[in-house]
Amino acid sequence: MKTHVLTLALSFILCLTARAELKWEQTAVELHPAKGDKQAIGHFKYQNVGKTPVHFKSVHASCGCTAAQSQKDQVGPNEKGEITATFNIGDRTGTQIKTVTVETDESANQKTVLTLKAVIPQELEISPTFVFWKQGEKADPKSIAVHAGKEFSVKHIKVTSSSPDFQTKVQETGEGQFKVDVQPNETNRLMASTLTIQAENSPKTFYATARITTAPTVPGAHGVPGAPTIQKAPAAPPGGPTAPARPPAPTSQTH
Amino acid sequence: MVKSFIWRILDFIIAAIFIYAGVLKALDPVQLTHDIDHYKILPWTVGVALAFYLPWLEIFCGLALIFRLFYRGALSILTALVVVFLAATIGAKVRGLDITCGCFGHASQNWSFPTHMALDLGILIALAALCYCSVARARAHA
Amino acid sequence: MKFSLARQALILAALSLLPGVGQAIYFRDKISWQSPIPPSEMVSVDRAREWGDGVIWIDARPDDEFAHDHVPGAVSLNEDRWNELLPQFLAAWSPGKKVIVYCSAQSCDLAREVAERLRKEAQLPDVFVLEGGWEAWVKKNR
Repeated sequence: MKTHVLTLALSFILCLTARAELKWEQTAVELHPAKGDKQAIGHFKYQNVGKTPVHFKSVHASCGCTAAQSQKDQVGPNEKGEITATFNIGDRTGTQIKTVTVETDESANQKTVLTLKAVIPQELEISPTFVFWKQGEKADPKSIAVHAGKEFSVKHIKVTSSSPDFQTKVQETGEGQFKVDVQPNETNRLMASTLTIQAENSPKTFYATARITTAPTVPGAHGVPGAPTIQKAPAAPPGGPTAPARPPAPTSQTH
Repeated sequence: MVKSFIWRILDFIIAAIFIYAGVLKALDPVQLTHDIDHYKILPWTVGVALAFYLPWLEIFCGLALIFRLFYRGALSILTALVVVFLAATIGAKVRGLDITCGCFGHASQNWSFPTHMALDLGILIALAALCYCSVARARAHA
Repeated sequence: MKFSLARQALILAALSLLPGVGQAIYFRDKISWQSPIPPSEMVSVDRAREWGDGVIWIDARPDDEFAHDHVPGAVSLNEDRWNELLPQFLAAWSPGKKVIVYCSAQSCDLAREVAERLRKEAQLPDVFVLEGGWEAWVKKNR
């Protein structure tokens, strides 16, 4: 019976029939870094099952956040080795998928894609992380929902506002679920606050921003672009969020 | 009479499986494209084309089995599809790829490798039996 | 009329193209053939230019690339230092402004990830990814 080969068939069959000499133990790795880890490292082991040496032409990660290194430039017959992919977590959240493309001289354009999946534990999920009022708008409270991550048990959270111009109120809405009501004292001035949110007994801090913004500009209107009185946040010190020049105001809420 | 009834039941079962699989995938081609792209094996454009085309191919071939229109053509396409999916699943497993064939779209992404293999093999055996029956019938009429 | 096996398969394959093409047209705004970013979330350099002052540019590339060169007036925002850089961007944002995120080229994922995060977490409207990235901007402006 004749078989009709679809593009998918071509791609997979080509992969299968290519004279690949490098055999990978696995080409996809799932990592679960612990809370507070700065990096997640994946090891991709291989063995040269062919009769000729294999030379690595390039090992290239999909983003600058992942550094990929091969132990050796050339792998002799029967030799084993590994490619290490180091993913810098930074301030990333959720499931991150990064790839490393390995090119060898096994055959023309022989490329293998190694996949690194890192599931970053999120102690608190905050939505939204930004609440704002337009200048002159009624200063009604706006809510930020805070949920504990799946693997975490959070009974209390502490919310601190960096500015006394914003008040916060925390209510528990369910198990591991909280509502933070944020309210400015007034909306006539442009002002901002960084809300620091922390789970009880946890050193990890999360952030949200509250701000009074300029009203939307009319398209095509001439004038000074942006409002001259916008308080541009000063450059932040490394490792911390931007904070206003004055010391944090003693407005904090614990629940 | 009983024999042909049994073959017809098998036609309907296989057709139902492929129509169900096709409909599931056709309902959300955007998600299917992302599922295909997930492991970066096929170029994005090819993945998009497959996501829009493959489900309908399965649906039409399933309908062809039910209504006995272009029956042998449908059998050959479905057999080819299953052979490809089987080869791809085995090949991926041998290479250490964590991949599911996505036969049932996003719904099947948590199925284990043995589950996929069992279903694909079962379908292939059924298709082979239907092909044999079709050839035998054609010879009998000749 | 009896068709050969090959002809039957060809007809089925061709018939399946029709709904596939129909779906591709229906979903044309939700999925791009060139990249994982839907057309409704992409903006070209020319279109961005038309928006003039109503745009905030975000550079999603690593710090060293931003320091080397960037779109004039662009704000750096990347996931390495998201908590530190986000407030600076929010200080420049106001309702009605369109946000355009770029990274090095069309193939780079960083801009898409930053844009998605701004939409989901900060819930900002009008967040777009620059088609072709920094490469495209340089081509049109230098």
